[in-house]
Amino acid sequence: MKILVSAKRVSDPNARLQVAKDGKWIEGDVEYVMNYFCENAIECALQIAESQDGVETVAVGIGDEDTARFIRQGALARGIDRGIYVAAEESEIDSDLIARIYEGVVHRERPDIVLIGKQAVDGDSNQVGQLLAEYLGWPQATFASKVELQGDEAIVTREVDGGLEVIAVSLPCVITADLRLNEPRYASLAGIMKAKKKPLEELEIDDLDLDDADPKVKVVALSTPSGRKAGVLVKDVDELIAKLRGEARVV
Amino acid sequence: MIDLYNPTEEHGALRQMVRDFAEREVGPQAAASDRAEHFNVELFRKLGDLGLLGLTVSEAYGGSGMDAVAAVIVHEELSAQDPGFALAYLAHSMLFANNFYHNANDEQRRRVLPKVCSGQWIAGMGMSEPHAGTDALAMSTSARRDGDDYVLNGAKMWITNGAINDTELGDCFLIYAKTSDNRGRSLSSFLVEKGRPGFRLGQKIKDKLGMRASPTAELVFEDCRIPVTNRLGLEGESTVHMMRNLELERLTLAAMSLGIARRCLEIMNQYATDRHAFGQSIRNFGQIQKYLGDSYAQWRAGRAYVYDTAARLSLESQGNRMDSDGVKLFCATMGKDIADNAIQVLGGYGYVGEYQVERLWRDAKLLEIGGGTLEAHQKNITNDLRRVGVLR
Ligand SMILES: Cc1cc2nc3c(=O)[nH]c(=O)nc-3n(C[C@H](O)[C@H](O)[C@H](O)COP(=O)(O)OP(=O)(O)OC[C@H]3O[C@@H](n4cnc5c(N)ncnc54)[C@H](O)[C@@H]3O)c2cc1C
Repeated sequence: MKILVSAKRVSDPNARLQVAKDGKWIEGDVEYVMNYFCENAIECALQIAESQDGVETVAVGIGDEDTARFIRQGALARGIDRGIYVAAEESEIDSDLIARIYEGVVHRERPDIVLIGKQAVDGDSNQVGQLLAEYLGWPQATFASKVELQGDEAIVTREVDGGLEVIAVSLPCVITADLRLNEPRYASLAGIMKAKKKPLEELEIDDLDLDDADPKVKVVALSTPSGRKAGVLVKDVDELIAKLRGEARVV
Repeated sequence: MIDLYNPTEEHGALRQMVRDFAEREVGPQAAASDRAEHFNVELFRKLGDLGLLGLTVSEAYGGSGMDAVAAVIVHEELSAQDPGFALAYLAHSMLFANNFYHNANDEQRRRVLPKVCSGQWIAGMGMSEPHAGTDALAMSTSARRDGDDYVLNGAKMWITNGAINDTELGDCFLIYAKTSDNRGRSLSSFLVEKGRPGFRLGQKIKDKLGMRASPTAELVFEDCRIPVTNRLGLEGESTVHMMRNLELERLTLAAMSLGIARRCLEIMNQYATDRHAFGQSIRNFGQIQKYLGDSYAQWRAGRAYVYDTAARLSLESQGNRMDSDGVKLFCATMGKDIADNAIQVLGGYGYVGEYQVERLWRDAKLLEIGGGTLEAHQKNITNDLRRVGVLR
């Protein structure tokens, strides 16, 4: 069995970002971290690989040069077997193109499962898994909080509004990982040292023979959130309720 | 990012891993461990799973085979969350494991290091005594050769990880003792394991000002028989072992100050924005700006000095004493001063535990004493400077 997992870097959610002068991207000394949902996807793949024999795990990262470091240190150091890095200008790709790049990688690798984060915590689009399943014609199980393999099916518990839904999808399939899927492990120091010796293939988008490699979405403008207004101190519960009713209209 | 502080991608990944672990698991328990004077053994053993306990020990014996810069990174990151916990780590991994690895023979390494690197055994090092600290060569613990044994008598004081709780000894120790009166060749070092007849726990040191999450104890030896196979290196050779390991000890103690300073800066920086007085944020006041500006510049200077020294410090040989003393001399006081500035910026809130800087200030003070007092560093540097004409 072969599992493809996603390894995407995101701008650190705790960092203060600056919008670039052209208003279309971010600039400055941006710190990057591994996308949280990708960490869940990686952990899930590792657990599957540890629970049965003959599972190969492959991490895929798309983006600027530094992405290769995240494949090594975020995925290979945790135990993923090898990596594929697809070079791309991050400001010039959209969710659709990323899904098409994954599609190209899937045609080369022929995995049984593609396990990716449900969304990237910087772009917040939540589209790649769904688009990829469509392009491949594969079943999809999104927002997974539990994954079990039974024969040629994956039994996936999904977090949906107001509860859980359990579905069975036939392999090959696309699964997108939610936060409660598992608790990602730390890379051990031994893993970090081993990572640099694991294979990491580098590709250009052109190597993938995509029918359509044009982005469809243009960023028109970025702006930082307006500062939060100062709060007010209320005297007592009665005043609070009056304000919630009268001004905020929430009760 | 490749820079002075993360010279290779592996160093960067190590920092990220330790920082994640420290923020998620070490920080949240720090205040409670300090209050209860509790050494968190379970958490400590997790450092073994991550490969940190044998950081500078070769992979062949269960370690990770990393360098002095890596050691600085780990101490800086652990100490930013809990300096007490970091001190227990230092005693185990630097004072015992690194020293033992460099001076033991292959049989001894095989026997001991895998257990120490995994965290199965908790280890420490005994140099100081009730009546000899700075003047280490005046120690009185003696080891008298008797057939295939040595007979150990004396006491060691202030031993970090000497006990893992109020009653139980740590598992193994590297103990310096006198094997002759020939100053210069008087010291030998021995592996002493828990359970040897004649080896017992003396006082458990309570009520420390800071570093209360690390256990400190007195170790007592009364006609304690140690086989010759537990002696490290040749008889009389260990003054050199001691001097060499002190370089790494002082460097990593300085790194602990960097962690304390960074954390205190973050806390006072945020607070200076959030706190309002006289209708404005207190960071607008010139006197507050002095605390922030001075603290930042001192921290940056200390950090550059520590990493510059680490990059040049070889674990195999000695010869960096001026700067390993120098970084600790500078950073110990720098860390304490910045913690003090943070308390001042936070006012009354700084004086109580909730904002952490009170604890960090108490922990920071130890670094002016342990592993060499400020005065010892001044003395060593001045001695070594005598031989230097032109400074390059
Ligand atoms: C929490 C804690 C943990 C410790 N952990 C360990 C450990 O794990 N292993 C270990 O072996 N030791 C440990 N120590 C001991 C520590 O290294 C010593 O406390 C330190 O070296 C100072 O020795 P001392 O306390 O005997 O002070 P002393 O050497 O007695 O010094 C007293 C004062 O005299 C000054 N002084 C001494 N000589 C001179 C001189 N020549 N010139 C000028 N001034 C001088 C000193 O600077 C100091 O101000 C620990 C100490 C503490 C507090």
